[in-house]
Amino acid sequence: MSGALTERIIRFGRHLRGEGLSVAPPDGALLLEATAIVGLASRADLKAALCSIAVRNREELPVFDAAFDLYFGGDVTVAVPDNVQPLPESAAMYGPSGEGETTGTAAYRVGGSHEERLGARDFADLDDAALAEVKRRLASLMWRPAETLSRRWEPARLGAKPDLRRSFRSWVGPTADLMLMSARRRRRRRRPLVVIADISGSMERYVEVLLAFMHAARGRLGTLEAFVFSTRLTRITQQLAARNLAGSLAAVAAKVQDWSGGTRIGEALETFNRDWSRRVTRGGPVCLVVSDGWDTGDPHLLATEMARLARSVHRVIWLNPLAGSSGYEPATRGMRAVLPHVDDLLPVANLSDVAEVVRLLESIPARR
Amino acid sequence: MTPDTVDGVDTALRAQDYLAERGLAVAVHLTLQMQRPLFLEGEAGVGKTEVAKVLAAVLDTELIRLQCYEGLDVSQALYEWDYARQMLAIRLLEARGEGSTDISVGDIMSRDYLVARPLLHAVEEAAAGRHPVLLIDELDRADEEFEAYLLELLSDFQVTIPEVGTIRAGRPPVVVLTSNRTREIHDALKRRCVYHWIDYPDFEREKAIILRKAPDIGERLASEMAQAMARLRTLELFKPPGVAETLDWAAALRVLGAESLDAGVVDDTLGVVLKYQDDIAKVRAGGIDGLAAL
Repeated sequence: MSGALTERIIRFGRHLRGEGLSVAPPDGALLLEATAIVGLASRADLKAALCSIAVRNREELPVFDAAFDLYFGGDVTVAVPDNVQPLPESAAMYGPSGEGETTGTAAYRVGGSHEERLGARDFADLDDAALAEVKRRLASLMWRPAETLSRRWEPARLGAKPDLRRSFRSWVGPTADLMLMSARRRRRRRRPLVVIADISGSMERYVEVLLAFMHAARGRLGTLEAFVFSTRLTRITQQLAARNLAGSLAAVAAKVQDWSGGTRIGEALETFNRDWSRRVTRGGPVCLVVSDGWDTGDPHLLATEMARLARSVHRVIWLNPLAGSSGYEPATRGMRAVLPHVDDLLPVANLSDVAEVVRLLESIPARR
Repeated sequence: MTPDTVDGVDTALRAQDYLAERGLAVAVHLTLQMQRPLFLEGEAGVGKTEVAKVLAAVLDTELIRLQCYEGLDVSQALYEWDYARQMLAIRLLEARGEGSTDISVGDIMSRDYLVARPLLHAVEEAAAGRHPVLLIDELDRADEEFEAYLLELLSDFQVTIPEVGTIRAGRPPVVVLTSNRTREIHDALKRRCVYHWIDYPDFEREKAIILRKAPDIGERLASEMAQAMARLRTLELFKPPGVAETLDWAAALRVLGAESLDAGVVDDTLGVVLKYQDDIAKVRAGGIDGLAAL
């Protein structure tokens, strides 16, 4: 292989890393090896070969395609205008949520499309003292995560199931005089939590506290799958992982495109059920849906999707900020549609409501 | 015999009735040449598992399959002692008048008393100079603990059993891992692999697959089916049908003696293609006629 080609492949690898693909420096050697194996006779084969080394996710495919076309010229299908900038790494990894945007140019967002971003809220100037206090309290919320039974075993005292493997091992060797039976039992693990929160216009006043709550819950539980929606569903699990709240909020603000829009709960749940449910509902999670139920979508669709959601998780808890006010009746069309499929309906309007929610989450038993 | 070009791989797969897209043939070729595991992702029913089966046939070697599930542990994946035999051996030694304290580890903890599970079996076969295909199927169903163990195994292909010793594969077996993406597999594991996302076939390839697997279905019906499948996959169904469903459908249509896709036939056989009531209802509501031949 010529030195120029080697150089080019290595730089291509570096370029991919810049685009957010997890191509580590040692992978450069693999890219070279793959190139040497398939040769340069076919551009398509070279592309497939480099792709099979550099890409580890379906979502990365369009990013790779765009980068390859950009880098290996030939028939450049994607011209890069001056006013583009690579997306932040996280966005490039997970791509926009469908709607035909994941074409060859997915890695770039043209500078002109600021429209939706201008609508994104600026968290920097929210320095209200009370809000800060609420956030502090949420962050220090005590929380004993609910548990569920794992399929894995752990050693236990007698009375549980006999553990033949450990028993036999203990029966041979110098200390084998006492043939004691070892036992095992099902290990316990934390029950996963999935939060799907409404950030539409009518929920605006609660959104920041809501995100602070999700961030705190993630810190407490170690993991949390989080989604927000108004007209479309966005996964913010990755964004919530930042250590400090301000960083998390900024990341969420950058990711979410539809702040304070209308509400289409049905469509959002449909997206969740279709694209995410199977990937995030392992291990019998509890699902928190946070919304006031003001829905502008089709109530029939909402009921159908809610029923499906209820079937795929251990328990559905609906949190409605309005439910706490005296004389509240779940009268909105949306609330009426979902109520039959919800296990619990709780208010979340103040800190004591939140404490109540946490208490409920703690009390969920390991077994059904 | 290992094919040594991409075209060779493509031809060999084709000879086993597997019509691979070019990217998959390249990935398989790299797997064989670089001796790295092949990591296949894709929707259910696009032929991920089939790749391993076909590879075993191409290489004329044994296919060792490990089906993953939650809670899969070392005694199911790697090895387990044969407790019943060990018990018998102890009894036998006792009956011969030897006290149980005289029984040494080697007496009942040797290779003879070991039940090899798929991973150990694959390493032993490879150590013996045969080169099996090891299929680790639906890895996403196993838990992170197992994944961590697999990472270790895939990096050096040796198994250490304290009582028996270390078994090392000379040349690693051909490893195929599949995932349906019910969760993300850790990056560290994927990093050791050649990755390929198997997409649904395009119209031409799907038609070719139908004709290859069910030759008596006829050119015309195969075209209509491939067209209908392509349309179904654009409908945003909860579970879009894969190639496996296409072939099931072909079998069903053959049983019914259908010669073309009219609305009646489609309606009767929809349950072969779609496996969720909501999906069936959605397609019915959208009009069966859209799927039937024009």
